[in-house]
Amino acid sequence: MLLPLAGCTGVQSALDPAGDDARHIGVLTAVLFIGGGAIFFGVTALLLYALFRAPERRAWLGTRRTVILGGLAFPIVTLTALLPYGLYALRVTDASEGGEPLLVEVVGEQFWWRVHYPAEAGAPAFDTANEIRLPVGREVRVAMTAADVIHSFWMPNFAGKLDMIPGRVNELVFTPEKVGAYRGQCGEFCGDQHARMAFDVFALPPEDFAAWRERQAQSGAAPADPFLQRGKLLFIRNGCGNCHAVRGTEAVGRLGPDLTHVGSRATIGAGQFPNNVGTLAGWIADVQHLKTGARMPSYSSLSGEELRALAAYLENLK
Amino acid sequence: MASRRLTQLFLALSGMIAWAVQFTVIYGATSTLCERGWADFALVGINIVPLVVVGATAVALAATAYVLWQALGWRKAMQEGTPPADRFLVDTTVVVSGLSLVSILWQGLPGVLVPPCY
Amino acid sequence: MNAPPSRDAFRADVPPNPLPRPPEEFEILKKAWEPPKGLAFVTAVNNTYVGLWYIGTALLFFVLAGVLALIMRTQLALPESEIVGHDLYNQLFTMHGTVMMFLFAVPAVEAASVYLLPNMQAARDLPFPRLSAYAFWAYFIGGLVFFTTIFWGVAPNQGWYMYPPLTSYQYSPEDNADWWLLGIGFIEISAIAGAIEIIVGVMKTRAVGMSLDRLPVYSWAMLVFAVMIVVGFPAIILGTVLLELERAFHWPFFIAEKGGDPVLWQHLFWFFGHPEVYIIFLPATGMVSMIVPTIAQTPLVGYRLIVLALIATGFLSFGLWVHHMYSTGLPKMSLGFFSAASTAVAVPSGIQVFAWIATIAAGRVKLTTPALFVIGFLFIFTLGGLTGVMVAMVPFDWQAHDSYFIVAHLHYVLIGGMVFPLFAAFYYWTPVASKNPLSERLGRWVFALMFGGVNLAFFPMHLTGLLGMPRRVYTYPPGLGWDGLNMLSTIGAFTIAAGIALFLFDLARNFRLASEDNAGNVWNAGTLEWLPNGNYATRSIPHVASRDPLWDRPDLPREVENGQWYLPGAPTGRREALVTSPIDGRPQYILQIPGPGWQHFLAAVFTAAFFLLLTVKWVILATICGVAAFASVIWWLWETDPGPTRPPADIGGGIVVPVYVTGPTNHSWWAMIVLMVVSGMIYGCMIFSYLFLWLVNPDQWPPPGTDVPSGIYPLAVAALYLAGSALIAWASRLLRGEDRRKPRTVAILLALAAPSVLLAVGIDIWSQWGLSPEAHAYGAAVYGLLSLQALFAGTVAIMALYTIARWWADKLDSVRRSTFDNTMLFWHYTTAQGLAGILVVHGFPRLIGGA
Repeated sequence: MLLPLAGCTGVQSALDPAGDDARHIGVLTAVLFIGGGAIFFGVTALLLYALFRAPERRAWLGTRRTVILGGLAFPIVTLTALLPYGLYALRVTDASEGGEPLLVEVVGEQFWWRVHYPAEAGAPAFDTANEIRLPVGREVRVAMTAADVIHSFWMPNFAGKLDMIPGRVNELVFTPEKVGAYRGQCGEFCGDQHARMAFDVFALPPEDFAAWRERQAQSGAAPADPFLQRGKLLFIRNGCGNCHAVRGTEAVGRLGPDLTHVGSRATIGAGQFPNNVGTLAGWIADVQHLKTGARMPSYSSLSGEELRALAAYLENLK
Repeated sequence: MASRRLTQLFLALSGMIAWAVQFTVIYGATSTLCERGWADFALVGINIVPLVVVGATAVALAATAYVLWQALGWRKAMQEGTPPADRFLVDTTVVVSGLSLVSILWQGLPGVLVPPCY
Repeated sequence: MNAPPSRDAFRADVPPNPLPRPPEEFEILKKAWEPPKGLAFVTAVNNTYVGLWYIGTALLFFVLAGVLALIMRTQLALPESEIVGHDLYNQLFTMHGTVMMFLFAVPAVEAASVYLLPNMQAARDLPFPRLSAYAFWAYFIGGLVFFTTIFWGVAPNQGWYMYPPLTSYQYSPEDNADWWLLGIGFIEISAIAGAIEIIVGVMKTRAVGMSLDRLPVYSWAMLVFAVMIVVGFPAIILGTVLLELERAFHWPFFIAEKGGDPVLWQHLFWFFGHPEVYIIFLPATGMVSMIVPTIAQTPLVGYRLIVLALIATGFLSFGLWVHHMYSTGLPKMSLGFFSAASTAVAVPSGIQVFAWIATIAAGRVKLTTPALFVIGFLFIFTLGGLTGVMVAMVPFDWQAHDSYFIVAHLHYVLIGGMVFPLFAAFYYWTPVASKNPLSERLGRWVFALMFGGVNLAFFPMHLTGLLGMPRRVYTYPPGLGWDGLNMLSTIGAFTIAAGIALFLFDLARNFRLASEDNAGNVWNAGTLEWLPNGNYATRSIPHVASRDPLWDRPDLPREVENGQWYLPGAPTGRREALVTSPIDGRPQYILQIPGPGWQHFLAAVFTAAFFLLLTVKWVILATICGVAAFASVIWWLWETDPGPTRPPADIGGGIVVPVYVTGPTNHSWWAMIVLMVVSGMIYGCMIFSYLFLWLVNPDQWPPPGTDVPSGIYPLAVAALYLAGSALIAWASRLLRGEDRRKPRTVAILLALAAPSVLLAVGIDIWSQWGLSPEAHAYGAAVYGLLSLQALFAGTVAIMALYTIARWWADKLDSVRRSTFDNTMLFWHYTTAQGLAGILVVHGFPRLIGGA
């Protein structure tokens, strides 16, 4: 059905569904496009006919009957069919199918995503940021709110968007269906760096998810060599722990993203740069240039060697 | 004279006014009942929310249908000498009520097709 | 008071006035309508001048906001581009949206109607010419100053929809948001002034015999438009006030931690914001319905159904606002209601599109430039309308919302639905206002560039959006499939700009302002705006017997110009309009309308200065300007309500009508009723806000530790309000009779009523004394209701003093009592509003048992 739109695959595309909600909406989209396209061509053809057909041949069109049939009866019939279908689609989208869903709590903040996986049978709770990993085939329930201004949680491949509103908790229910790496982005203008507020989504086979979850719940990796130890020392000395947490160390800050397993994430800066020692060092040194208005100051006074050590320490937190 | 004209105008718009009242009632009731958690209440086995929606829809439909029926009667009774403004107001009453019936019916659909408060 | 003339007194087939006309008659008419000369030109109030200034200013803002869009498109042509930073970009898109909506679209359609409406209805002018001039100057000054904020980098940068908490004091401590709130808030007031003018104009100042069934479709569209403004704009005015109160005084209407809710703003904003789209669209459809019959040279098919469509749109579009809030997490059934209404509103659009197609089929269209723009409009608007039905489907909208799909949809609807008809109108109506028509040859190029450009710019955006690109991003990463589409959109945007530039060139080359020697009826149109006219509009006011009088009575232009029809001169020697009955179009009285003056001009300058200075917090200077604005308004009002300056006059054919009436026939009575509707809507929205905040605050209404005042207070307050109204009603009884009596008791009663209402509101505020408006949304909501009521109480007290002053100055008696009537109406309204407020503030907490 989506054939004409093939080639619209992508990691952030509503036309390339990887979950049940996006799939339902994809079918609705196809129906709307085909129906709307047909009506559009019909109306255009009629207009051209009215303009260019010989006057005596088109005279039948120039009466009140045209208005009643085309303008009144036709829309009423079409929409009487479409509205219940739309309401049906509304019923089945963002709807629970029973069973025990995976709970994920996401808080939108200027300009990043705080992610919390609550404890469930046999698996402890943990925090992460700017990345969501989900098992395919299991229903997911994302509970969301905002810490400061309104944000909107949008992973086009999985579901429509849902707003994160201070003082309210909204819930999005869907089931990931296709393994892969995807991207989500903030859908509601939230200030200076709204454009740079994205996140990564990974749909994993259930066993991979379980393994990931187990690792994430553990403390941060202890530095194995002196260079990494120096990085950790710099992390503590420069007060990084006032805002960031690395579980298992004295860094317990809650203002910024939890960095316990930052090395395991695909990107940094809320979906902005690939995650490696170079980008991490650049980020720390010059965040205010890379993402002006982010809440973190630039640490431009650190020397190149210090930055490398610090970045290597973080990169090692897998 | 003036009050007859006002009545005519009101009747010409009455279908849409009925829609507006229905809309306000069903949206207001649904929001209040859901937000306050009063929506678990059921009457003869039917949840209160769809009940309110269907009830309001039925009342609005009946009122509009009555006006439409009346207006069709007036239209039949019109004679040669009926001033064009009167003719126009009756015709407007007919078409506005007619379209309003469809709008009111559509307006009530979510009440039966979509679960309340979720 | 004369009885209205009987039916047979006027006939549509024979002109009532014999020839030749007395030679001085035309001279007096011309002299009465002479425009001011030299610098005093700014004091002109004639709709032809004000209308053109107004249109020109709106066009200026269209170009300016378009330039902002070009900068944005340049930035977005390539991914990760660094042409403009986030700071400027966020101001650009906010200003583009705000300026296009508030300073271009609504003013442009109001402006066009200031110019066209009286001409189409063969009225000499609108009923309140100084009010439209005031609205224009307020908009002109306020709009220009507002726009310059982009040059100082202090322009609003939170989006044209200003969602808190981003726009509140915590996250936007700078002045940017205040510029929006005060600048735009005050331009909304100007829009309401225009709407009151249009409602009374359509209902009361028409050609003789122009009964409702013969009203031009454009007049119908403008009537619905104006009513929608009156109902819709109060919501945003109240929202603006509440947000400014939160920013300035920290009243937490929208702060979740203190019991407020950011979603309340969204309801208030979109209750205005969605109808706004139709407010912009309906006048444009009205224009199309005037142009299509002319280009097809045949009467419009389906007139009654088009009227139905306009009325239905006017209602249904108020059931769509949550359409913009589908993703806020409201219950699905509630969303379903808005989905249903959004579906229903498609039907009226369908009716209109098919009526135009049928008319085109019935006639023979010559592909002139206006015709091309109408055809382009039908094409683009149909596409935009269909994507509109798509986003009415909730689940689809969850994906499309706030993505580039919506950017595509809204530009198709607004450019297709408003800009193309407006350009058709420019090409079509220029011969009414200019010596030369615009160039047909250039016009084709303008059309081709704009049509191609719009489709090239906006069609790809449908796909960009579904491929996941959100709106309002200053840049985007490469490789997500958006790069090529964005480049296409940028090329399209510059193509549109080339078309507009060519249009401006055409305008500069061919538009030459003219009234008597205009290019005339070059399209062979059938409606009254093509009658020969001058500053005085038409020489005489015709009696129309059909919807296309110029087609059905080819002699009409000559007869009108000769003064053979009604009111060929100026019986009072000053500016006048003929007031007709709203349904049947029978002559009722001669309205004496004011001419040029400095009052409204100064009032506009000082009102603008007051709001703008307040924004930059120069409080003292702002206060001085506020007082000056107030004084100018009083000075302006003082000249109104002239009374019966001469005995009833013959307007032709033995029809004698008075030059002054009072009561429900009077035009200012109607304006006051409309103003009361506006006030009622504002107060109604405040009550809605109160109830909404109650809904989101379970067990906190009032919050623990807060008491509802003792029941003795509301009783006392209610008694005082009722006493005030009773005194006014008593005064009204004393002020009756044809003998022009002016008993002193009237002044005494007014003097007693004023303190009564002030005391009432004072006691009400005092009863809440311990309550803090800053601590919790409950207090903020209560103080919101009280403050509004205090504003109204203060206003009626001033009106009482003003009315007493009129009495003192011998300008008020039992016949000349319009001023008193208006005071009385507003007084009773204020009493009713006060009683409603008491029921809410004192009754509601008791009702829910929270006390």
